Amino acid sequence: MIEVEVFPHRYLKAETTEKFLNEIYSLDTVERVIIHGQPLPKTVYYGPARGTPVNHSERKVINVHGVPVELTVMAGRFWITLKDDSEIDRIEEICKSLFPFGYNIKVGKFTRDKVTVTDYIKYGERVVNMMDRSLIGLTDPRSRFESAVKIIPKEKGEEASSKEQ
Amino acid sequence: MAYTPQFYPGKTRIAENRRKHMNPDVQLEKLREIPDDDVVKIMGHRQPGEDYKTVHPPLEEMDLPEDYVRDLVEPISGAKEGHRIRYIQFTDSMYNAPAQPYDRARTYMWRFRGVDTGTLSGRQVIEMRESNLEEIAKNFCIDTAFFDPAVCGIRGATVHGHSLRLDENGLMFDALQRYVYDEKTEHVLYVKDQVGKPLDEPVDVGEPLPPEKLAEITTIYRKDNIPMREDTELISVVKRIHRARTLGGYMPTDEIFKEL
Repeated sequence: MIEVEVFPHRYLKAETTEKFLNEIYSLDTVERVIIHGQPLPKTVYYGPARGTPVNHSERKVINVHGVPVELTVMAGRFWITLKDDSEIDRIEEICKSLFPFGYNIKVGKFTRDKVTVTDYIKYGERVVNMMDRSLIGLTDPRSRFESAVKIIPKEKGEEASSKEQ
Repeated sequence: MAYTPQFYPGKTRIAENRRKHMNPDVQLEKLREIPDDDVVKIMGHRQPGEDYKTVHPPLEEMDLPEDYVRDLVEPISGAKEGHRIRYIQFTDSMYNAPAQPYDRARTYMWRFRGVDTGTLSGRQVIEMRESNLEEIAKNFCIDTAFFDPAVCGIRGATVHGHSLRLDENGLMFDALQRYVYDEKTEHVLYVKDQVGKPLDEPVDVGEPLPPEKLAEITTIYRKDNIPMREDTELISVVKRIHRARTLGGYMPTDEIFKEL
C-alpha cells in the first residue's frame, strides 16, 4: 500500500475537484482519497457581520460516482492511498489534463496506519480492535464521522472512502 | 529639511518600486476609475450620499485651551469638521502583490497626514478621519498601481489568504468570498463590503493585471522574480543595522561602528 500526494499549484474550484475525484475513483488501485484544503465557513464567524451567511460558491455538494459529497473546503491537496504503484502514470495523466497551471506529485507516506493512544481514548479498545484498518486516522476529535467521511462503493463490491479536512 | 530623503536602499527593480511608492513626488500610474459611491459601499461605514457623522463640533467653534502646538500643526480637513475616525484594511498576496504591509505603512507615513496605520503580517489597516480616508482610499489605494483586484483584497475582518496559493482564476483565497471573478467580462466584482455584509449591487473593480505586469510593479522580493540576495546594496544596509543593534545596542562605543 502506497500513498501519493497531489499538490495542484492553484486552489481548485468545486467543479474541478468533482472531475478529479471522479477520474481518480475510476482507477482500480485507488482505495482512499483525503481532501485537504482551506475551510469555507457557512456563516461569517467574526467581526461586525457575524452570523451573516457566506454563500461561498465553492462550498457545495458534488457528485462522486453517484454519491453526494458536501465539499466544506477549497481543495488544495489530495492524499491518495493506492494498492500498488501500477497506476501512478494514470494519475499523472489525469493531473496533466485537469491542472494546466501546474502540480506536484510525490510518492510517500502521509497518513498514519497504526492506532495511537488517542484512538484508544476516543473509541475504546474493543472498537479500535474491530474497526476497519482503512478508517484509522480518518476521524479527528473535532469532526463527526458522517460529515467528514464518505464511502464511495466500487463496482466490484469494494469500498473506498474519501475524507475532507 | 537639511538632507534629501533616500526612502529605501537597493539597486534592484523591487527597491526602485518601493522608493516610488514612498516618494510623495512620484505620481503612481492610474489604472482604474472606481466611482466614489462604490468605494463608500465597499468600506461600509456610511450609505452613499449620507452626511458624515461627527464626534465633536468643528474646531473653530470649540473653546479650546491655549496650546502652541495647535498653532504649529494645521489640522486636516476632517479633523476641522470633527468627522469620525474610520478604517480601511487591505490584504496583499505574496504572489507579487503591488504593495505589502511594511511598504504600505511607510508609504502612508510619507504621503499622508493625520493617518494612523497598523501593520500585521497579513493585513494593513489605516485609520483616519472618514472624509479624508475615503479620498485616499479612492485616489491612491484603489485607483492606482498600488492595488490589483486579484492579489489585493479589501478586508476588514477574516483576512486569511495572503500566504496561500491563488485560486484557479488567479484570485487570492477569501473564506468570505467578498469578491468574485466574472468569467464573462473577466472583471473582479465585489459582492460584499469589507466585513462581509452583502452589497445590494456588485461593485466592479476592473480587470486583474497580467502576471508580467505584476512582476514588474511588485515590491516583494521573491525567488521566482527578483530574490533579496541579488540586492547587494540592500543586504549591506540590513547587515549594518543588524550589527549596530546586536553589538552596539547596549554599548554604543566607537569601536563597534568603526567598520560599519
